[in-house]
Amino acid sequence: MVTGLGSYAFAQVDVFSVRPGSGNPLAVVLDARGLDSGQMQAIAAWTNLAETTFVLPPSSAAADYRVRIFTTRQEIAFAGHPSIGTAYALLAGGHIRADAAELRQECLAGILPLRRVLLEGRQTLSVRVPRSRIAGHTDEGYALLHRALTGCALGPLPPALVEGGRRWWLAELADEAAVRTMTPDLAAISTLARQTQSLGLCVFARANHGLVVRAFPLGVGIDEDPASGAANAAIAAFLDEANALAELGNAYKVSQGREMQRDAQLLLSIDGERQVWVGGGCDILVSGELNW
Amino acid sequence: MPAFRRFAQVDVFAAAPGAGNPLAVVVDAEGLDTRSMQAFANWTNLSETTFLLPPTLPGASYRVRIFTPRQELPFAGHPSVGSAHVALETGFASAVDGQMLQECAAGLLPIRVDEGPRRRLHVRAPSARPVAMQVHAALWPPVLARLRLGALPPVLMDNGPRWWLLELADEGSVRSMQPELEAIARLTSATGAVGLAVFARAVAADHRLVVRAFCPADGIAEDPVTGSANAAIAAWLHLNQRLPSRRYTSSQGREVGRDGFVEVAVDADDQAWIGGQIQTVVTGTLAW
Repeated sequence: MVTGLGSYAFAQVDVFSVRPGSGNPLAVVLDARGLDSGQMQAIAAWTNLAETTFVLPPSSAAADYRVRIFTTRQEIAFAGHPSIGTAYALLAGGHIRADAAELRQECLAGILPLRRVLLEGRQTLSVRVPRSRIAGHTDEGYALLHRALTGCALGPLPPALVEGGRRWWLAELADEAAVRTMTPDLAAISTLARQTQSLGLCVFARANHGLVVRAFPLGVGIDEDPASGAANAAIAAFLDEANALAELGNAYKVSQGREMQRDAQLLLSIDGERQVWVGGGCDILVSGELNW
Repeated sequence: MPAFRRFAQVDVFAAAPGAGNPLAVVVDAEGLDTRSMQAFANWTNLSETTFLLPPTLPGASYRVRIFTPRQELPFAGHPSVGSAHVALETGFASAVDGQMLQECAAGLLPIRVDEGPRRRLHVRAPSARPVAMQVHAALWPPVLARLRLGALPPVLMDNGPRWWLLELADEGSVRSMQPELEAIARLTSATGAVGLAVFARAVAADHRLVVRAFCPADGIAEDPVTGSANAAIAAWLHLNQRLPSRRYTSSQGREVGRDGFVEVAVDADDQAWIGGQIQTVVTGTLAW
């Protein structure tokens, strides 16, 4: 053992999973006191996961804990799967009291509530996501979008750029098969992401009383994401804004990740104040310590 | 219900946590079938995940299976060194007279254990040989554009994986190289190579060779620290009587924010060994 290393409680959680390994992995440092920002970024680069989170005491009495969220490249204000996975790991590890129905997470995007719901015998968590809005773009942006969608059978809604902290292009496809069999043009999506300062492209279609979704965040160097919390919340807000939620109702399920050998399930709901919540189940796969 | 297995995630070729190449190791992997090993290796999102099993061959200290997110490999350097370290740390296997014998799909490979204030492990890499390969004339020029080349011609070496090796003029040429990833992907895909490794002699206190390895066709633009490529380079330099010395240290990974060191040796039987230090970063249990 090299002297000077600290030891930190650690978990690697499968988020939006229906069984272990079917969701989106998240690394969680459960008590990150003693780590500086540079160390957090280095750890997040090393885990090689989409996100790694670091839990700290809250700076506000209105929050139960504070979380800092890092991708392999940078710190971000908010993301869905890190919020759900972090809260689940804290509850499972007894790091926060397990009796409250609602938790309050402090992050760079503010203090956000999480709710615990027992669904079909399984503990699930949902987080209220800062609501995204449809943003306009130049003709050049739409031309790049249509190049990225070449060969895709489009659905009834016109594609749009949405903005809610991070920016996503959303495109409804004709049906479930069009989504599942899509061969993404990664170079075209990468160009789209770069030229429009967005994360990339998210496609969806209606299926089985819910949606089937795929997300291609080439803007952060990831070809395909197995389960995307904030992107799904953006889709829900987009459908709500377009008055296209009627068939789905105010709560629906999303299937994502099968095309990359995962099988994630996300729960979306829109509350009475038109706020979007995203959630799902988790499995803690790794629990132990991190030495850094 | 999942079983609980001992688990570690280690940093290989690293003098400090975060300097090397990460590896996930499932210690008590008995009872997992190939499909669930592959599924877990896909989930960790690391370049390799290994599974420790009791040996099946006489003399072997342990057996290891090595998976990338997409497939099982017969051998790889950093997974071998990292797996041996975890086998020792957890008591899954022990060394006899500073030696272990690793059973993997490529056969039995000896591992040398140097205990000290900081343990060092070295594995003998499978023998490497140059492969004669006709390459379409259009494939190399875009890879070589703007590079300052060294004395040796490019070569395709096979030591399990196949690596294109390219000597550059000096350390600065390697460190400042802006790889033409699409051209490298076309070259390696067309020739069955896992990637392109560039190298040059270096004159530094802590390394005599500098290496970078690019595997864009496999979804990895640049690998932080690469055991098999370093072994292939040693074999190629030895064939050309251009080794810096029989034992040397190679520096790799600084251009991707790491700082790995691979200790390389060519033994009396002309076989390449690679190894170095390993940091145990994550220890715990896996529910899988």
